[in-house]
Amino acid sequence: MKQVLEGSQAVAEAVRLARVDVISAYPITPQTHIVEYLSDFVADGTLRASFLKVESEHSALASLVGAASCGVRTFTSSSSQGLALMHEILHWSAGARLPIVMAEVNRALGPGWNIWADQLDSLAQRDTGWIQLYCEHGQEVLDTVLMAYRLAERVSLPVMVIMDAFFLSHTYEPVDVPDQERVDRFLPPFEPRFRLDRDDPVAFSPLVSPQYYMEIRHNAARAMDESVEQLAYIEEVFSEIFDRTYGPVEPFLCEDAEIILVTSGTVTGTARHVVRELRARGERVGLLKIKLFRPFPRDVIRRALGGTEKVAVIDRNCSFGIGGIFAQEVRAALCGLEGCPRVYGYIAGLGGRDVTTGLLEDIYDHTKNSEVPPEVSIWMGLQEVDHALKCP
Amino acid sequence: MPLNVPEADYMHSGHMACPGCGAAIAMRFFLKGLGKETVIVLPACCWSIIAGAYPQMSLKVPIIHTAFETGGAVASGVRAALDIRGDTDTTVVTWAGDGGTFDIGFQSLSGAVERNENFIYVCYDNEAYMNTGVQRSSSTPYGAWTTTTPGRSWKRMRKKNIVEALVAHRIPYAATASIAFPEDMVRKVEKAKGIKGSRFLHVYTTCPTGWRIPSEISVKIARMAVQTNIFPLYEVEGGTHYTINYRPKEFPVREYFRLQGRFSHLSDDDLAEIQAMVTEDWELLLGKAGAVRP
Amino acid sequence: MNEEKTPPAVSPLLLARSHITTEGNKTGSWRFLRPRYEEKTPPCSVACPAGEDIGLIEELTNQGMFKEAWETILRENPFPGVCGSVCYHPCEAACNRGEFDEAIAISAIERFLADAARRNDVRPSLSRSAPRREKVAIVGGGPAGLSAAYFLTMLGYGCDVFDGMSEPGGVLRWGIPEFRLPLAILQRDIALIEAQGVRIQGGVQVSEALMRDMDGDYDAVFIACGYTRSRSLGIPGEDLDGIEDGRRFLHHIRLGNRPRLEGLQVIIGGGNTAIDVARTVRRLGGTPLIAYRRRLQDMPAFADEIAMARDEGIALKELVAPLAITPHGDGYILTLGQMHMTGEDDRGRAIVAPDEGAAEELAAAQVFTAIGEEAAQSWCIPPRGDGVVRLNAVVCDFRSGRACRVFGGDLTTDTKSVVDAVASGKEAAIALDILFREGLDAVEPGIRECLVGDGRFCSMEIYRGGTRCHRSSHVVPYDEINADYFQLSRRISQPRLLMEERVATFDAVDLKISASMAIREAERCFNCGLCNQCDNCYLFCPDLSIVRDTTPPGRHIDYDYCKGCGLCVAECPRNAMVLEEETDETGTGGEPGRR
Repeated sequence: MKQVLEGSQAVAEAVRLARVDVISAYPITPQTHIVEYLSDFVADGTLRASFLKVESEHSALASLVGAASCGVRTFTSSSSQGLALMHEILHWSAGARLPIVMAEVNRALGPGWNIWADQLDSLAQRDTGWIQLYCEHGQEVLDTVLMAYRLAERVSLPVMVIMDAFFLSHTYEPVDVPDQERVDRFLPPFEPRFRLDRDDPVAFSPLVSPQYYMEIRHNAARAMDESVEQLAYIEEVFSEIFDRTYGPVEPFLCEDAEIILVTSGTVTGTARHVVRELRARGERVGLLKIKLFRPFPRDVIRRALGGTEKVAVIDRNCSFGIGGIFAQEVRAALCGLEGCPRVYGYIAGLGGRDVTTGLLEDIYDHTKNSEVPPEVSIWMGLQEVDHALKCP
Repeated sequence: MPLNVPEADYMHSGHMACPGCGAAIAMRFFLKGLGKETVIVLPACCWSIIAGAYPQMSLKVPIIHTAFETGGAVASGVRAALDIRGDTDTTVVTWAGDGGTFDIGFQSLSGAVERNENFIYVCYDNEAYMNTGVQRSSSTPYGAWTTTTPGRSWKRMRKKNIVEALVAHRIPYAATASIAFPEDMVRKVEKAKGIKGSRFLHVYTTCPTGWRIPSEISVKIARMAVQTNIFPLYEVEGGTHYTINYRPKEFPVREYFRLQGRFSHLSDDDLAEIQAMVTEDWELLLGKAGAVRP
Repeated sequence: MNEEKTPPAVSPLLLARSHITTEGNKTGSWRFLRPRYEEKTPPCSVACPAGEDIGLIEELTNQGMFKEAWETILRENPFPGVCGSVCYHPCEAACNRGEFDEAIAISAIERFLADAARRNDVRPSLSRSAPRREKVAIVGGGPAGLSAAYFLTMLGYGCDVFDGMSEPGGVLRWGIPEFRLPLAILQRDIALIEAQGVRIQGGVQVSEALMRDMDGDYDAVFIACGYTRSRSLGIPGEDLDGIEDGRRFLHHIRLGNRPRLEGLQVIIGGGNTAIDVARTVRRLGGTPLIAYRRRLQDMPAFADEIAMARDEGIALKELVAPLAITPHGDGYILTLGQMHMTGEDDRGRAIVAPDEGAAEELAAAQVFTAIGEEAAQSWCIPPRGDGVVRLNAVVCDFRSGRACRVFGGDLTTDTKSVVDAVASGKEAAIALDILFREGLDAVEPGIRECLVGDGRFCSMEIYRGGTRCHRSSHVVPYDEINADYFQLSRRISQPRLLMEERVATFDAVDLKISASMAIREAERCFNCGLCNQCDNCYLFCPDLSIVRDTTPPGRHIDYDYCKGCGLCVAECPRNAMVLEEETDETGTGGEPGRR
């Protein structure tokens, strides 16, 4: 049934519909609404689950490691500093092959304290073994959470469902909230492939020597690779039941495009608008939305971008020393491709600064008028400051 | 007359504990008291190794190894999951060393017991980060050598009183125990098993390797710690009701210190100062128990 | 509601998960020290002249295995009832528990075991060796002779005991008063000796001539006729009519006579005979006074007996010696000279000399002499010289040409007591068995092989190759006991007749103790050096390397896993284990060495 929900609410509805057993979360702006909605559901019995009100994010995820190891469906949510604090346990969850699902609200990392949209927090965790799925709008958030559970439980890896702070978490949009019966058809109860059982004296996550470690890690790496195919299948099933589909990437007006903008998250919505406008003016421009970031869908990206001249990747993040992370990953995916397009990296919108239509048009112009892409990402919309500390 | 403890054992031989390891003895006694319906949460500590390297396992009850500081948190999750699966019989235990309890693990422990999570937390205390090579922890006693308090920099901070810190949370049950007093320890484990909510056991476990003592006096040293009131045996219920379980003849601390290489640098004056500290702490404890010095 | 087509396959899951035990690691290879069960010798059994396995006796008593405990005594001593009543218990002086709180009441427990067996008419199951050809004659049916016969019979020999009295027992029957040793107790011990096959002929006065006959009929003669002649005072008046020889007086009373006595009865002497006479006099109505030439602490009588006498109000005059006895009315005047100490001998006994001129005259109704006895016949005196071997408690005359003669009992022992007599009888039996089987040269080394601990008393069980053989001869001192495992507890007090009751009758002063008292007291025993199955070793092993089983000692060490930490040895309360250097390079095999 269609409702007008903010992104956080869409998450909560999905968690409810997924019949999650154990929730453990620590509040941090702008994730707080998620945990508040869930608290209400648990309190009024709408959702029959345990809600652990832990004392930090690190403990939130650690407690879910414990819970998921016992074979129950689990959920947490965090953002920014909280996600960073969880870092060690992010690695642990994936290495322990636990199908935990997290709603991650992309928020800038301090200093300075900044509670607004920025992608560095989730991207900085890209090596932890979590599957990462970026969302553009509220419906996608709800649908992705449901698909995340099925995927996580199929490949035994944790999944992060990512949305921009405020632009998505606190923005109200119409969202179709499916009925429980249909969701139950799509997402059956969790059947764990392993669990802590008092009658089975095994030890999970013991010391592993060089003699055995690589094979165990290889097994996880392979599961990550297989998740592309598994997700495609899950999207098919989802589409059959709910008549919606997303794909690991979504090309928009890319046929015969000479320049393709690459975006993720809510910037995609603005970019669609700009691309339509530019097309109306005769520019041969397209848009590629990236949803699946881990595993990076290399083959799909090569097919989607291989035929174009130039690619302009818009990163709402910056990894000091290498620039925009999506740009880096796209370059790596395209490397060695015959007729490889020139890739331009742009950094914009850090810390919640608006990515306007004007800014995107500037990016397009700059790309069009440039022959050789700079090696480093280009920072868009930087202002002059006169109070930087001068060295003697 | 044989010491009266349950017969069954839930541990295998062939584990990697050092000869004379007090922590191995403690686990043995603990499981004797607790029995088979147990799952153990095991943050990083010596027992991470003693439990066995992949693919081996030295216990007859399941273990989930976890990151160093997560003992309280993981146990909370395990408990919630078991409960929601309908299993309320299995006892969830966190088995942590002093590092994972007093220091890095203190936050998650405090968080878990503040929520009165239904589990037993056992801190087996060998008074330093032994697994990584004898570095000091806040459980290392005043006067001790460790690799991070070497030479003249021997530890001049007093041992953190972890039981008091836990008692401040008003948990249903907290107690000390010692490997030299098996019957007392088993009694406390059996008692803890029957209580709901957060239960904390602080177990004194000798480390021959880290304390620089011959392995065969491992139990004797543990006994001396109790006999000198350095490590009193007592229980606290509900955060308020103290019971002292053993009133020894109060031997002077001197011989206890002189038998251990980690204290060999202490002078007679240092020992006298330490004796005064031990007496002071003991009298504080007596006061809490409403007991009178004989 | 479309049917889902098959999802694409996922790879099998390999995660970090341990599923086999650590038992594949043979951590025994770490070891450079190896523990081993090794029982050692408790000091009580070394001090006991009969070499009784006291630590084991207490352990069996503690477990309520009274018959087995009693049989353990009988393997070393055929007189548990007698010794339980009258022994001077050197074992208790050596008892390690005495350094902790109070020594175990070993003697009371021994008496209890004999009482329990007697009351329930229990018969012992004792093994006997295969019959041997040789025959031994035993002269004297006292404790030494009867013990020799008992042990020789145990070793397979036919024995004949010749005793001069109508009933055997020697001093036990005809000397020690019944209030110390009730007749029924003695008769039971002797009946069991006879039940083993010992033949006793009473009423036979053995002479030199009879001895020569024995040379022909027997392969050996054990001479234990004791001291039957009292030493004389060597003072004027000692031959006066009516001056009583203390030993003869006691015999008279043992015949059942109960003369009424009145007035002061002076007993000269300080040994057990003197004490027995004094206490008998007390019961017959007289007022006894003991006159002794040295100090109280020098008196050779057993300390317990002296204490009993003092309790019964018997007066003692120290440092006096009789100078003369003269008749006076119906009684006598006894002149006593004062003595003074001039020093101490190497045993701490006073050396005394008379004070010149200082003398005292006492009017006494009767005077008894009890200053010691000696052999009555020359053939009772053990010879010296070539071919004569002095062992610990006996003298063996192995000179060829006739059946060898072995001398024992009071004739040869340092301390004149029942248990020393038993020791001599046993040593004689062992010496003769070695002589008959292996020859003369094997006797002394053979005796040395069966001594208990580092002492000078033999054990028959060790001689015959019983389990005591496997114990180390190291004697466990108190500082090797882990006292942390014991709590202070009082020794039981021996129940006794009240003072008024005692001196009114000849009934036994010591009353029986109950089974619960016996068990409680036996439980106090440390069992020094012996494994009593306390299981500390098993409990404290961090590697669960001590495994219980059904073969003695009831557990074994799994050397595949034992890391040699030594905790088992340290926590054994009673030093029944040893920790030695590991010699086997693989650390997995090798038989534990014998002592």
